[in-house]
Amino acid sequence: MQIKETTNSGLKRGYALTIPASDIDAKIDSEIKKIAPQVKMPGFRPGKVPGNLVRKMHGEQIHAQVLNDTIRSSIDSLMAEKKLRPAMQPAVSLEDGYEQGKDATITVDLEVLPEIEAPETDDLKIERMTVAVTDEQVEEALERIAGQNKSYKDAPKSKKAAEGDQLIIDFVGRVDGTEFEGGKAEGAPLVIGSGQFIPGFEDQLTGVKAGEEKTITVTFPEDYPAENLKGKEAEFDVTVQSVKVEGETKIDDEFASNLGLDSLDKLRDILRTQLEQETAGLTRTQMKRSLLDQLAAGHDFEVPEGMVEAEFAQIWNQLEQEVARADDPEAAQKEIEAEKDDYRSIAVRRVRLGLLLSEIGQKNDVQVSGAEMNALIQQAAQQYRPEDRQRFMEYVQNDPMAAAQLRAPVYEDKVVDFLFDKAEITDREVTREELEAAIEAEEPAEEKPAAKKKAPAKKAAAKKTDSEKSGDEAGEAAKKPAAKKSAAKKAPAKKAAEKSDDAKDEPAKKAPAKKAAAKKSDDDKSDDAADAPAKKKLAAKKPAAKKAAAKK
Amino acid sequence: MAKKQEIDARHYDVVLAPHITEKATLLSENNAVVFKVAGGATKPQIKEAVEALFDVSVTKVNTIVTKGKVKRWKGKPYRRNDMKKAIVTLAEGQSIDVTSGI
Repeated sequence: MQIKETTNSGLKRGYALTIPASDIDAKIDSEIKKIAPQVKMPGFRPGKVPGNLVRKMHGEQIHAQVLNDTIRSSIDSLMAEKKLRPAMQPAVSLEDGYEQGKDATITVDLEVLPEIEAPETDDLKIERMTVAVTDEQVEEALERIAGQNKSYKDAPKSKKAAEGDQLIIDFVGRVDGTEFEGGKAEGAPLVIGSGQFIPGFEDQLTGVKAGEEKTITVTFPEDYPAENLKGKEAEFDVTVQSVKVEGETKIDDEFASNLGLDSLDKLRDILRTQLEQETAGLTRTQMKRSLLDQLAAGHDFEVPEGMVEAEFAQIWNQLEQEVARADDPEAAQKEIEAEKDDYRSIAVRRVRLGLLLSEIGQKNDVQVSGAEMNALIQQAAQQYRPEDRQRFMEYVQNDPMAAAQLRAPVYEDKVVDFLFDKAEITDREVTREELEAAIEAEEPAEEKPAAKKKAPAKKAAAKKTDSEKSGDEAGEAAKKPAAKKSAAKKAPAKKAAEKSDDAKDEPAKKAPAKKAAAKKSDDDKSDDAADAPAKKKLAAKKPAAKKAAAKK
Repeated sequence: MAKKQEIDARHYDVVLAPHITEKATLLSENNAVVFKVAGGATKPQIKEAVEALFDVSVTKVNTIVTKGKVKRWKGKPYRRNDMKKAIVTLAEGQSIDVTSGI
């Protein structure tokens, strides 16, 4: 086999391989010898068919198969010989005009993974912003729950229905004197002023008493979903069964027991832990962000174009799907077109960080243990129907690609955890708003055009609303185009998963895939192994970092 | 040309097909090839036909008639067709690639 390098620019490599015909012939011969004992042919006892006859009968198929195998193995040996680490599947093509008996010339085009300097992980400095959950926040949450659990009490008979009261009504609706489908109900609860029914309906019921009968006339709005009712005038005979007023919900033990808890304190505790988890999530996001920023700033290497393209295509696809769902597809389309370059640089950054993280992980022997993997598979299986779960699990266990995809986020998290352990962490107590601001602010300030999914600051604002469930900022987001909002909403949730996808995908596919066998056996040990060196170093390092380890 | 085709057609009526079996392959050590031939074909006819079709010189032709077996179908006996085989020995150094077909 002869290897000739045709291109070598940047991360791109091209090779021309020549496989002599005699090599192929020899392989075919040995292949025939192997299969001859199994060949059956009329006129011969099984396995007694002479080789030349076998060749005549099955020569073509064997040749094609042998050629394929030869190409594959020669590419493998090419990789081994030149010590290439392909970033993606190499493009292989057989030269035109190849026939049996001729020398086969194949061209191989591929991109290699860049040589990444083992990233310095010791001198990272991360500021951990923690948010204390205050009692007021807990109370606030408590009240919110109380508000959602309003109870209504029967009002005295003479009470006239007013805004905010609940009516229990029977009604029959008619358009042009005939009843229409869905225009009839009995015992339907209706809160006046809630806007549940068509406009005008509720207004006209203001002032009714229990037991009263009333006929009202309303006009269906033009944008009413039912085609035959649009813009029509309808009469409703309404019988009011009862009028109920909103009961005051007291926050006490009874209220807690209504929610299925022992006491009010328990409820408080639960709310507190919920809030703490929420802020802890935010803190982690912020830490990770600043960590990644530091990594990205500290390392600048060429990234394989193919991987960037793939990543970009993925982002683009997702955006386009969102655009299709948006209220104003054309405007949204224009918007994303305008920001195309931003998205591209996001893709570059993602690929780079992904490679970097996997490199760090490999260097420091961070691995996902078998137990973790199992838990992960179980979790993923939950979203399938019970009868499909078993099948899904088998699929994952048998398909290394699927497993790699599942493993990716966990692997990334572990690497990040590992880096947190090593990094110098300074604690600072901040308010929630400051923390959120920090998460957003860091990105536009970054040198790299866009930190994450949403390059533009605009999106950051929208994202805020998502992470903050209180909805305080909802108004702010509402001002933004709907498309933006939906895009951003997805971003935080998916970001982690996606990012880690590329973080792990390629490396998982390539390097670990080869090492998979070795890795698997290692898996159980790996957990401790990964932790141990980290801790050792820690002990010698700053005490501040120790806290992180303990936390972990 | 027309005449040659005519002759060829006649030869094809004599030599029907190569007879490829384990035993026939063993015979190739003696430079012999086995054909299925028409029941009425004579040795000189076979010799002529093989020489014309494969452009070889034949030194010897042995023939054998394999009688068809008597079989029964729905209790009624019937006979399978007889088959005439010709073992054609070629002159030294010549060969026929029987598998390539005619």
